[in-house]
Amino acid sequence: MIVSIRSLAYLAASLLFILSLRGLSTQQTARHGNRYGIIGMLVAVLVTAVALLIPGDGVAAGAGAPNSTVVGVLGAALGLGCLIGALLASRVAMTSMPELVAILHSFVGAAAVLVGIATYLQPAGAVAIEAADRSAHMGEIYVGILVGAVTFSGSVIAFGKLRGKIGSKPLLLPGRHLLNVVALTACVALGVIFLHAEVAWPEPGGSVLSAGMPALLAATGLALLLGMHLVMAIGGGDMPVVVSLLNSYSGWAAAAAGFMLSNDLLIITGALVGSSGAILSIIMCRAMNRSIWNVILGGFGADSGAKPKVGAGAGAGEAPGKVNETTVDQVAELLLAARSVIIVPGYGMAVAQAQHQVKEISSLLIGKGIKVRYAIHPVAGRLPGHMNVLLAEADVSYDIVKEMDEVNEDFPSTDVVMVIGANDIVNPSAEEDAGSPIYGMPVLQVWKAARIVMLKRGMAAGYAGVDNPLCYNDNTLMLFGDAKQSVTKLLIALRADA
Amino acid sequence: MKVGIPKEIYPHERRVAAVPETVHKIRKLGYEVMIEAGAGDAAAFADGTYAEAGATIVPNAAALYAAADIVLKVRQPIAIAGGGHEADLLKEGATLISFIWPAQNKELIERLAVRKVTVLAMDAMPRITRAQRMDALSAMANIAGYRAVIEAAENFGRFFPGQVTAAGRVKPAQVFIVGAGVAGLAAIAAAKSLGAQVRAFDTRPAVREQVESLGGTFVEFTFNETGEGGGGYAKEMSEAYLAAEQAMIAQHAKQSDIVISTALIPGKVAPPLITSGAVVAMAHGSVIVDMAAEQGGNCALTERDKVVEKFGVTIIGLTDLPSRMARQSSELYATTVFNLLKEVSAPEPTPGIAIKMQDEIHRGVLVLKGGELMWPPPKPPAPRAGGPTGAHKVLEAKPAHPPPPAANGGGRLIGLLVALTLVAAVIAGPPQLIQHLTVFLLACVVGYHVIWNVTPALHTPLMSVTNAISGIIVIGGMLALFGGGSGSLALGGVAILVASINVAGGFLVTQRMLRMFRK
Repeated sequence: MIVSIRSLAYLAASLLFILSLRGLSTQQTARHGNRYGIIGMLVAVLVTAVALLIPGDGVAAGAGAPNSTVVGVLGAALGLGCLIGALLASRVAMTSMPELVAILHSFVGAAAVLVGIATYLQPAGAVAIEAADRSAHMGEIYVGILVGAVTFSGSVIAFGKLRGKIGSKPLLLPGRHLLNVVALTACVALGVIFLHAEVAWPEPGGSVLSAGMPALLAATGLALLLGMHLVMAIGGGDMPVVVSLLNSYSGWAAAAAGFMLSNDLLIITGALVGSSGAILSIIMCRAMNRSIWNVILGGFGADSGAKPKVGAGAGAGEAPGKVNETTVDQVAELLLAARSVIIVPGYGMAVAQAQHQVKEISSLLIGKGIKVRYAIHPVAGRLPGHMNVLLAEADVSYDIVKEMDEVNEDFPSTDVVMVIGANDIVNPSAEEDAGSPIYGMPVLQVWKAARIVMLKRGMAAGYAGVDNPLCYNDNTLMLFGDAKQSVTKLLIALRADA
Repeated sequence: MKVGIPKEIYPHERRVAAVPETVHKIRKLGYEVMIEAGAGDAAAFADGTYAEAGATIVPNAAALYAAADIVLKVRQPIAIAGGGHEADLLKEGATLISFIWPAQNKELIERLAVRKVTVLAMDAMPRITRAQRMDALSAMANIAGYRAVIEAAENFGRFFPGQVTAAGRVKPAQVFIVGAGVAGLAAIAAAKSLGAQVRAFDTRPAVREQVESLGGTFVEFTFNETGEGGGGYAKEMSEAYLAAEQAMIAQHAKQSDIVISTALIPGKVAPPLITSGAVVAMAHGSVIVDMAAEQGGNCALTERDKVVEKFGVTIIGLTDLPSRMARQSSELYATTVFNLLKEVSAPEPTPGIAIKMQDEIHRGVLVLKGGELMWPPPKPPAPRAGGPTGAHKVLEAKPAHPPPPAANGGGRLIGLLVALTLVAAVIAGPPQLIQHLTVFLLACVVGYHVIWNVTPALHTPLMSVTNAISGIIVIGGMLALFGGGSGSLALGGVAILVASINVAGGFLVTQRMLRMFRK
């Protein structure tokens, strides 16, 4: 009976998770969505715990009455884990969200690996399986552990890159595709050994190849290296895709664990999470107009054949034209005289942590009856939706935060566009220059506005390494300096002029 | 190298080709600058201000032309009253940068060719982004369009804006603008800001958006031909089209107080869009501003350089509209001329003209090179209409929150893999496997549909929530912990620990973020 109740509870939890994700379709219903998720998780964990603690129902595999050590470990692990999680959640700065998401993915990967190994080491007959089904079971364990390992190491590297501890340039080893293929082949070979192994550990004096654990551990090691290598080969600006992919992998790892444990809730939840991550990755890739394989397997631009052109679009090979530099006071004047303003935030704003000052500026302008909107490009920042979160944190009303598709048509009728710390997402070469590496990528058409003010630290190229003709346009003014400093000074100037 | 700016002798011309600020900039390029005495007077630039900027004031035109290697002018060289011709004053082999209108001034070109002059025509500037800062025609047209409205208002006996007063209601003026190029758009803006109701017509459908963005109503006109010529200019239309245009314009003119026409075709006579019949049908007291008077006029009854009244309608055929705002237009013209000079100047340190024949701008404006005829230039490539289809395809394929298009290459590959897995499972696998796969596939489909509906603004909370949910692996940890086997305590315990960090951290950080999304 407890099994039936547990199944029912799992059904409820699955439905709650689906409702949770559905709640995120609008800002108003999103908070309910989160609550559904929490309830679902509580139900699942509680019912599982109860089912395990009640002895002898065939649910608690292999143990008789659960002994107090086990219960103690359960309680301690749950309690400590929740405590750490709560601390992390309350302390993290919104600009560090990408790193947090990355490191959380790694935990799921790690858990999947550990669960897989533990399941493998359970005494025979622990999980009721016939010999014929043993291969399938072993296969599930193997795949689950490997996916978990790749997720784990990949996420750790992603964390390092986002944190800045690892350089954002892609690590392109010579023959790296060959290395990956070799690693995968080796994993398959080890898998065959693993499947045929009769025992977990080698008998004294017996062959290493007859036991499962050595092969499994070797394969796990390879998978860890593979995960690291895959993510090291991707550049910092492609991180939104990578993090979404790792999000997806963590789902597949959970689903694989579900296959292995014959647990439908794990399978369903893993599938939901996996497809969520996959879809986000697809959205990101579309927004960069690159295929997902290109992102995963290639360093951006470095070996794709097309050399980035300086001064692309106009006379190729010409020395780049002159830029129009401006001062904070001029920009303040421009803004106050405008009737409509669009602000385009980029990663630079996030790095400089300037979002609060930017919000102050937009509030000031709105107070003067000027129409202010924010235009968010899908791959702005290092995480999907990152800019939205930063702006929300700065208390910008989400009404005026528009997606690229909603706002791209309005640039021709806009007086002033402020581009803060963004480069490739406003680069006209993507539309005009067929030779440019970013050609075809949808961009914000800011050059169609009357005046554009670009806040940049200097004339360095953006992530794609491509020069931006926007800087040399006649109606573009460059305000050089650190974003936060420029914006703070601009705020002072605006308040003075007001 | 000396750059000289003479005084304009063209009738009614008050502009000058350089202002003190551009004198300063030209000198920075390494040239010496000479200004004819009094050149800037009509534009309110005194000789003293030029001298302060470093120019040499030369007493008369002959002396200036004799010494100058490069001459900057506004109007093309013309015959001098009292004998002689400006073109003959030029040094042999000199460079002339000015409005030239080569198609209408063949004789002038021949004269200049004899002097082996290099001539760059400001009116032949290609209409590309890079050349915008050298586009004198647009700069002047902008001013002319504004001024046209001012002249119309001056000659119009009623208000432009509507009013309700105790002494009666005043209707706003109805302004109809023919041609929505730079001048037409400037006129729309000026008329709107004075309070009039503005309608505008153009043969190019692409300008509708520009007209509407200024607050004007775009007048539809359907006929088979399209009005787009090459290089951003309109083209001449067939006779039937012209007749239909005239009829349409007559109808709108009848309902309008002010008609401002700006229709020009480069190198050709202006199209005769406003017939006498149209003028007759207009109400007494109406005003027509014919901005094409210099090229023949859009109105049959226009008299060039004059303001006349016919059939009760005032017809303004002034050709010096920019000149009437000489100070403003000189500043803008001088800047465009300077930009072209800079563009064709050889790099430092030796200042001088270096024409790059492959450059679209250099080639486009080049009329004579050392006396050799280079005009007209080879046709420029058609403007890439609407940007590359690649970018547009991607944008169009992605409306608000769509599910993606059905099976593309990647989708087919996945479908194939799924089919293979299912077949393998049926053949070789335990019955449980098929059941699990069923559940798995169904859940994937559900997930797919649910996630596409998530608004992009919430993608980050989506990632943290799915993170939290994937902490469901904690159940796996619990099963492992209770499952016995070597190391189950450690393995299971650690798995539960890290998984619950996910759960708690994920949900709590999501909650934190969602709380921030308030209106």
